[in-house]
Amino acid sequence: MTENIFGVVGLFEDPAALLKAVPLVQSKRLGKLEAYTPYPVHGLPGVLGLSRSPLGGMVLVMGALGTLTAFLFQWWMNSVDYPLVVGGKDPSSWQAFVPIMFEVTVLFAAFTAGLGMLLLLNRLPDLWHPFLLSKSCAEVTRDKFALSIEAESGSLDVAAAQAILRQAGALSVEVVAFPAPASKVSLNALLALSAAGALTCALAGAGMYGAVKLFPVLPPMSHMLVQPRLDAQQRGMRPPVAGTVARGRMPYLGALGNPLPRTKAVLELGRKVFSNNCLICHGPLANGTPILTAAYGAKPANLQAKKFLSYTDGEIYHAIMHGKNAMPALGLGFTEDERWAVVHYVRALQRAQHAQDTDLP
Amino acid sequence: MLPELLRPEPLVEGSISAAVLDERVLAFPERRPPRAWFVAFAAAASCMSLGFALIGYTIVTGIGVWGNNRPVAWAFDIINFVFWIGIGHAGTLISAILFLFRARWRNGLARFAEAMTIFAVMTAGLFPLIHLGRPWLAYWLFPYPNQRGLWPNFRSPLMWDVFAVSTYFSVSILFWYLGLLPDLASLRDRTTSRARRILYTILSLGWRGSAGHWRHYEKAYLLLAGLATGLVLSVHSVVSFDFAVSVVPGWHMTIFPPYFVVGAIFSGFAMVVLVLAVVRRVMALEDLITLRHLELGNKVILGCSCLMGYSYLCEAFTAWYSMNPYIHHTFLQYISGTYGWAGWLAIACNTLVPQIFWLRRARRSLPVMAIVGVAALAGMWFERFTIIVISLYHDFLPSSWLVYKPTFVDYGILLGSFGFFFTCVLLFSRVLPVIATSEVKGSLHD
Repeated sequence: MTENIFGVVGLFEDPAALLKAVPLVQSKRLGKLEAYTPYPVHGLPGVLGLSRSPLGGMVLVMGALGTLTAFLFQWWMNSVDYPLVVGGKDPSSWQAFVPIMFEVTVLFAAFTAGLGMLLLLNRLPDLWHPFLLSKSCAEVTRDKFALSIEAESGSLDVAAAQAILRQAGALSVEVVAFPAPASKVSLNALLALSAAGALTCALAGAGMYGAVKLFPVLPPMSHMLVQPRLDAQQRGMRPPVAGTVARGRMPYLGALGNPLPRTKAVLELGRKVFSNNCLICHGPLANGTPILTAAYGAKPANLQAKKFLSYTDGEIYHAIMHGKNAMPALGLGFTEDERWAVVHYVRALQRAQHAQDTDLP
Repeated sequence: MLPELLRPEPLVEGSISAAVLDERVLAFPERRPPRAWFVAFAAAASCMSLGFALIGYTIVTGIGVWGNNRPVAWAFDIINFVFWIGIGHAGTLISAILFLFRARWRNGLARFAEAMTIFAVMTAGLFPLIHLGRPWLAYWLFPYPNQRGLWPNFRSPLMWDVFAVSTYFSVSILFWYLGLLPDLASLRDRTTSRARRILYTILSLGWRGSAGHWRHYEKAYLLLAGLATGLVLSVHSVVSFDFAVSVVPGWHMTIFPPYFVVGAIFSGFAMVVLVLAVVRRVMALEDLITLRHLELGNKVILGCSCLMGYSYLCEAFTAWYSMNPYIHHTFLQYISGTYGWAGWLAIACNTLVPQIFWLRRARRSLPVMAIVGVAALAGMWFERFTIIVISLYHDFLPSSWLVYKPTFVDYGILLGSFGFFFTCVLLFSRVLPVIATSEVKGSLHD
C-alpha cells in the first residue's frame, strides 16, 4: 500500500521549532528529509546537509562568455566584416566596444542566475509535484514550516514517520500521496478538439477573405514623403550655388552643349566614326533602315523621327555613352571628341532630311 | 539594548502575523477595488488614450507634427525618454543596492518600486521608438545579417543605449518576477476559484518553497542584486553618453555620467515617495508602509538634491574654466535668454526646495512630501529640457539659431506618457501583491 505514498509531512509553528525537529527526525533515517518554508530559513540547508549552491560559478562562467561574445561580435562586425572608421580611429580599436561588452556580460550573467536557478537547479516548472496537492502546501505558503519525510526507492514506513514527526513536535501530520494518474484522453475528445480547430481555421480564413474583399486595402505607409516638415528637411543651411557640380562627376545631359565647333574637319571625323560604327544599324541616313535587319532582333531607332529631332545634344551623347534599349553602350570605345563629332554628324544628317527654306542658298 | 532615543523605529507598526499580512496584502487581487481606483484608472487611461492617439497621428503623418526643428532636432521625445528612464532607477536602487546594503526597510517598498521601474522603462522605451520617425524599421537597430551587408555602428553611444536599455528592461523584469514567485505561490494556495488557481499555478511555476529551492533562490537573488547594481549605474551613464560623447557645447562634459545617475535616483525617489504616499492611504497599508519608510526615502531625496547642486556647480565651473566662448554662451543661455526661466526652475526645484527635508517634521509631513515630490519631478523634467533644448537652439553658427516651440502633439504625448505609466501602476496594484509578503514575513520573525 505504500507504493503511491510520496511522503509524510509535519507542520511546525516557527523556524526555531523546525530547526529543533530536524536532528531528531534525521536520526531515524526513515527516508529523504525535505523542508518547505514560506521564506528562506537560515541554517536550514546546513542542518539538512545541502551543499552550497553552484550558481555563483555558473554565473561567473556565463558572464565571462557574455564579455567574450560581445567583444567578438562587435569586433567582427565593425572591424572585420565591414570596417568602420569613427573619429579617425583605427577600425580595429576596441575601447568603444566596452559599454556593450559590459551590458551583454550583465545580460548573460543575470539570465544565468535567474533561469539557471529556476530551470536547471530547481527543475521548475513542476506543476504536478505531489506536495502542491497536499493541504500542508497552503499552510506553508502562508506561515507554517513543514518537514517532510519522503519515500526513497518507493518505500516508506508511514506509521513510523508519523510517530517521529509527532514526537518532534509537529502541529499536524499529513500523509501525502502521489496524485492518481490522469485518465487517458478519449478518442471522442480528440476528434471534437480537431473538429473545433478545423472550424476555427475555416472561420478565420473566411472572415479574413471577407474583410479583405469588403474593405479597400489601405494605402501603404508613404515613408513620410507627405508631411508638413518635408520642405524644411530639404532646405540646407547653405544651399549650393546654382549649377554646382559634384566632385568627380562630369554632367553633359542637356545642361551643356556640344563642346566641339561645327567645322568641316569635325563633321568629317563624325562621318568616319558614324560610318564605321552606327551606320550598320541606323542606316546611312540615320533613318533606321539598316543594313543588318534579319540577324538583329530589335528594330533600330529611326533617328529622323520627331522624338530624336527634339533630343538635346547631351541626350544623344548619353545614348552613345550608355546605350539605349537594345543598343549597347559604345561610348568607351571612342575618345570624347569622337563622340561629340558623331553628335554633330547625326545633327547634320537630321538637318539634311528636314531641310527648311532658309537652308536653300 | 539601546536607549529609547537611539533605537530605530520598527519597520512594521504594531504586531502583525504572517497570516494577517497575507490577508491584508494578498486579498487585493481577489477583491473588487475601491471606487477611488476606478476614478484614478479612468483618468489615467484617458490620458493614455490621448497619448496613443497622438502617437498614431505622429506615425501616420511623420514627426513634422512635432515642434522639433533644426537645430533643435531632439526635444520632448528625448527629454521624456531621459526623464522616464530616470524614474525607473529608484526601483532598482531600492531592490538591488539597498538589498546589498542589508537595508531591511527596503522589503516593504521593493515590490512596488520594482514595478514602477518596469513601467517607467516601458514608458521611456516608447520615445526613442517614435523618435525614429519610421518606427516600423526599429529592428534595424539590432545586428542581424541583412542583404545590405551592413552592421550597426557599435562605436555610437546610441547603439550603447539600445543595449543598455534593453538589458535593463529584461533584467528588471527577471528580477521582479523572481521576487514575485513565492507570492504567486501564496496566491495560488489562497484562491478558491479554479481558473485563478490554474493561472497562478502556471505563473508560480509550481513554486513549493522547499529548502533546496530556497538555497538556490537566495543565491540567485543575491547575484541578481549585485548585477543589477552595476547595471543601474551603467544605464543612465550610457544615456548621458548620448550627450557627453558629442561635441555640442554644454553636453561635452565628464561630469555627465554621475550627474545623470544622481538626477535619475533623485527623480525616481520623488516618484516612489509620491505614489506610495497615496497608495498606503488608499489601500490602507499605513502600518506596513510607514512614515519611517517615507522619511528614509525623503532622506535619499535630500542627499541626491545636494549632489545635484554640486553637479550644477561643477558644470558651471567647467564651463567657466574651459575658456571656450561657445560653452560660455550656452551656459549663459541656461539662466538667461529665451528659456532662462526653465534653467532657474530646474535649479530651484532640484537644489533649493528639497532642502526643507533637513527638518524632521518636514520629512514626516505628507503635504510637504507631496509638494517636494511634485517639485522634484517638474524640476528634473525641466533640467532635461535645459540640457537638451537650450544646448541645441543656439549652436555654433548664429545663422542657424532657432527658437523651439512645442506643438499640442508634444504636450499631448507627454501627458499620455504619464497616463500610460499610471495605467500600468494601477493595473499592477489591482492584479498582483503590492508588497513582497515573503520578504516581509522573513523580517517579522526577528
